[in-house]
Amino acid sequence: MRKKLAIIGNGMATGRLLDELIRRDALSQFEITVFGEEAHGCYNRILLNRVLLGGAVDDITLKTAAWYAENGIKLRTGAVVNRLSHAAHRLWTADGQEHYFDTAVFATGSIPRLPPIEGVKTPDGKWKDGVAVYRTAADCERMRSFAKSGRPAVVVGGGLLGLEAAKGLADLGMSVTLLHLFDTLMNRQVDKIGAVMLRRAIERLGITVRTGANTKAVLGAKRAEAVLLGGDERVSADLVVFASGVKPRIDLAQQSDVPTNAGILVDDRLQTVLPGLYAVGECAEHNRQTYGTVQPVYEQCTVLADVLTGANPNARYRGSKVYTRLKVVGIEVASMGDIDAKDADDEVVQVIEEKRGVYRKLIIRNDRLAGAVLVGDASAAAGLARRFERGDSLPANRLDLFASTDRAAEPVGGAVCNCHQVNEPTILSAVRSGCRTLQDLAARTGAGTGCGGCRGQLASLLLKAGKQPATVSN
Amino acid sequence: MSFALPQLDAPPTTTSTRTHCPYCAFQCGTVLTGDNALSLKIEGDAEFPVNAGRLCVKGWSAAELLGHPDRLLKPLVRGAFGELLPASWPVALDRIADAFRRIQAEHGLDAVGLFGSGALTNEKAYLLGKFARVTLRTPHMDYNGRYCMSSAAGAGNKAFGIDRGLPFPVSDIALSRTLFVVGSNPFDTLPPIAQWFEKQRTNGGRLIVADPRRTPTARSADLHLQLTPGSDLALANGLLFIAIEEKLVDAEFISSRTNGFDAVRRTVLQYYPARVEQMTGVSESALRQTVRWLAESGPSMILTGRGPEQQSKGVDSVLGFINLTLALGLPGKPGAGFGTLTGQGNGQGGREHGQKADQLPGYRLIEVDAHREHVARVWGVDPASLPRKGRSAYELLDSCGQPNGIRGLLVMGSNVAVASPHSGSVIERLKSLDFLAVCDSFANETAELADVVLPVKQWAEEDGTMTNLEGRVIRRRKAMASPPGVKSDLDIIRELANRLGHAEKFTFASTEAVFDELRLATAGGTADYAGISYDRIDREDGVFWPCPSEDHPGTPRLFGERFHHADGKAKFHVIEHRPAGEEPDAEFPLYFTTGRYQEHYNSGAQTRRVAKLSGAKPIPRLQLHPELATLLGIENDWFVTVESRRGRVEFKVEVSIGIRPDTLFAPFHWGGRHAANLLTNPALDPTSRMPEFKLAAVRVVAVREPDFSAPEVSA
Repeated sequence: MRKKLAIIGNGMATGRLLDELIRRDALSQFEITVFGEEAHGCYNRILLNRVLLGGAVDDITLKTAAWYAENGIKLRTGAVVNRLSHAAHRLWTADGQEHYFDTAVFATGSIPRLPPIEGVKTPDGKWKDGVAVYRTAADCERMRSFAKSGRPAVVVGGGLLGLEAAKGLADLGMSVTLLHLFDTLMNRQVDKIGAVMLRRAIERLGITVRTGANTKAVLGAKRAEAVLLGGDERVSADLVVFASGVKPRIDLAQQSDVPTNAGILVDDRLQTVLPGLYAVGECAEHNRQTYGTVQPVYEQCTVLADVLTGANPNARYRGSKVYTRLKVVGIEVASMGDIDAKDADDEVVQVIEEKRGVYRKLIIRNDRLAGAVLVGDASAAAGLARRFERGDSLPANRLDLFASTDRAAEPVGGAVCNCHQVNEPTILSAVRSGCRTLQDLAARTGAGTGCGGCRGQLASLLLKAGKQPATVSN
Repeated sequence: MSFALPQLDAPPTTTSTRTHCPYCAFQCGTVLTGDNALSLKIEGDAEFPVNAGRLCVKGWSAAELLGHPDRLLKPLVRGAFGELLPASWPVALDRIADAFRRIQAEHGLDAVGLFGSGALTNEKAYLLGKFARVTLRTPHMDYNGRYCMSSAAGAGNKAFGIDRGLPFPVSDIALSRTLFVVGSNPFDTLPPIAQWFEKQRTNGGRLIVADPRRTPTARSADLHLQLTPGSDLALANGLLFIAIEEKLVDAEFISSRTNGFDAVRRTVLQYYPARVEQMTGVSESALRQTVRWLAESGPSMILTGRGPEQQSKGVDSVLGFINLTLALGLPGKPGAGFGTLTGQGNGQGGREHGQKADQLPGYRLIEVDAHREHVARVWGVDPASLPRKGRSAYELLDSCGQPNGIRGLLVMGSNVAVASPHSGSVIERLKSLDFLAVCDSFANETAELADVVLPVKQWAEEDGTMTNLEGRVIRRRKAMASPPGVKSDLDIIRELANRLGHAEKFTFASTEAVFDELRLATAGGTADYAGISYDRIDREDGVFWPCPSEDHPGTPRLFGERFHHADGKAKFHVIEHRPAGEEPDAEFPLYFTTGRYQEHYNSGAQTRRVAKLSGAKPIPRLQLHPELATLLGIENDWFVTVESRRGRVEFKVEVSIGIRPDTLFAPFHWGGRHAANLLTNPALDPTSRMPEFKLAAVRVVAVREPDFSAPEVSA
């Protein structure tokens, strides 16, 4: 008899968890049911702007409804779980149906954090026309339905999501004002200088940025007409989008007496305080930390699949280092760890290229990378992220950390023609004494007449050395 | 009971012979002048279209092996006091036949195994396979191609329904505008191929290379993706993500010529650039540049080498690049498509004719009844008498001396004691055998462990066919007589078959007669040689298989019209990144990867004996980044001891910016205490059973300064 595994939520964490479970042959142990509120299979939330810009949800769908059936997994779409009993091993969906489970996983994700603002909803509790949040595919479709080219829009929130929403609406031809409560944009990922670079880039796109902007209310009787700021300033808007961050979705856990803090509390096995109940992804709080990026969530899914199936009973989740890498409003941003010095002994390396709009900063602690911020050129991000992740010690010249590795370098020294054992100094001296073509070189040194593998190198040596004046022999 | 056999091949009549280099899969055409080892001159064959007269340093110096003083000229048999002593052929052959007969009588047919080689001619590979299945009737026959081409082969079969390394002539490289080489360093490993890269460059083409090392090939590239070892699959998926996102895929090709794209498209959605950048260490801008060049600046070609293939996810890694090739609609057009650069001399032919534990000649499968019936008919045996599928190379060696494992082994043309992963353990297993026989020209590290060593003819002393990296069947031609006292591998197989009661199944008037039987056995198979004859090869500078009949022109370019699955379509495969068998951790924090020097070939059994080659590269050097050198407090030419969970090796260091700071590299051409494979991990790919030569986790446990007073001793 297979045990019944209930997974509550059908976002990216669930998609990943299912892959990891199937890879471990979990279906031989478990009958898996997924409860998802949205009408479709799970999709890649990171790519939501494609839907905003008019793409179909299918373009970003990771798993279609058919996929679940093909893989022997029950998917209940439009199913809101509103009650769960740990003692009774049962959960109930909003339509009143009861489901038995042996093991349940909360993968409820997160919900938009809404600042206390008046006028976002109509008296009957529905979103006012022209007001939207930026979180789901349905939200994007709603935004699109109100977006009209040439009309004003306001985005509330200058973090990651807010910038993405603002860029999307600008691409749709709207005249966008971005309101941010704090002084610096993306203040969780970028320091003050980086934020200035970002702001300039955003403003170049024609987006108006207002920092330190305290949004009080959405004005308009039936539909949004403007936003009211502190100081009673009005910013007119056909469309107001709230993108002020997210918070773990823990209402069901709270109502079901599963201990929570900011998120649902889990141990190193992703188990809640109640045996047999697990939580994974953005809704989970591990070691006082919740996560909002994909990589940590994937790491959790690997551990949880090991634990649930017994594939690796010793699997433990030890937390993830936070790394954010994205392209916001067309400019590259990478951020990891600390963005400002914390200790007096922290080394700070900053490279500011104002004209190019490039900013790079490293925080180094005990010869290890404790954090980095890259804005405008993130080509060093991959290497830095690796050092950050591994805790490698760093090169003595810290600027070496910014060296590009993907462009070919000039060859250095040594044998050039291996077939005839001709080295670089010999070739250079042949060039200086008059060799100007590959044929000349071959006749004089034999280089390049074997396998011919070095002929490209020979050509570049000819070019390089030929530019220098020939030495006069004496 | 034994009896002498006539010499198989007629002596050569001219003193100038067109043949091919003994080493790699490029199989350069050579012209040999002279008829003895001392006077023999080697020149590149300007008429042969593949190398067009060029040779590498190994090819130029190949004659040195023929008259080499180390060459074995008499069989060796282990004497009463444990030493190898010269013996006559009948005595040595009787020892092998008796041992096999006794072991099989006591422990069953499965207790004897055979280990072949990608260096063997098609005729030898074929006959050795037949010997295993018909005479010894053991399922346990495999070969060193398992360590070389098996992942690419597995992927090709899955995606295209056929495995031919390059599905186009090598000259197609010059026609490509964007050439993407993944995990291969052909400037060192197939040097004469450089002329095609050069022509490609002259024609305005671009080169992209993905390699953890900045190899000579990578240095000549327009873009070098210096990826993290083991991240090739993530790289492929990440490139496909971008191709889809930027709408660069060929929708028409996908819908008319392939199956399975939609599932791949959805999987790949998880390989967005930020994540792939983190997994591979390749910047998003370089990822995008790669895709744009491939998609917009065609014809484009993707070639893989052992980098992505020699991993415990080797097949999936190659499938990732095939997925990308298919999505971009590249295959089937001149100068475009997917290929893999085969390594060993007959790495292609060697994997087609039944040396592999799961295969029969013509790329038939030993577990498919119709295939068994066809081959059994050619061999004149009952299909039911053919053994089933046996153990793969590493598993075969690892079973030696174990309960229900191999007790008697014959190795032909492979130095398994050096070439296998976790070689320390493999040597222990070989030592635990009841009986080991080795056929080779030199007393290599494997032969040192043998009970009987049989000296064999070399390349210039024998006839046969090879199939090069393009699937072109070519002729190895005899240029000179062999020294008295050595026999060809074919003769050895025949003599053993005679002693084991199968003389009638192994009666051939010539090497060509073996090939003619091979043609019958492959007829109708995937690798169909039925229409290829020695005469045609001579006339046409080689014939590309499949060639089902004598009036068929052969198939230089595959996939123009159809792929080789029943419906004629190629298959996309859903593949996902997974960790290597062993990833670096706090205990073993560095990657260790292996590869080749231009001057040496495989286990170095031959090239380490050539003065010019061993002079240029006398010892293996551990490549190590300056940053790591600083951290270890060492300099160039110092010695470091590297340790993995399986062994430790001391290497002399070459400090170089040509490698990632988190990775060490050493060549695998040496045995003994310099053997890189003492460190490697025998984690196997689930499909190809390829060991993970390309990545192990290691640490540095000791360093010491060079002792300048002592002379440098070569290994």
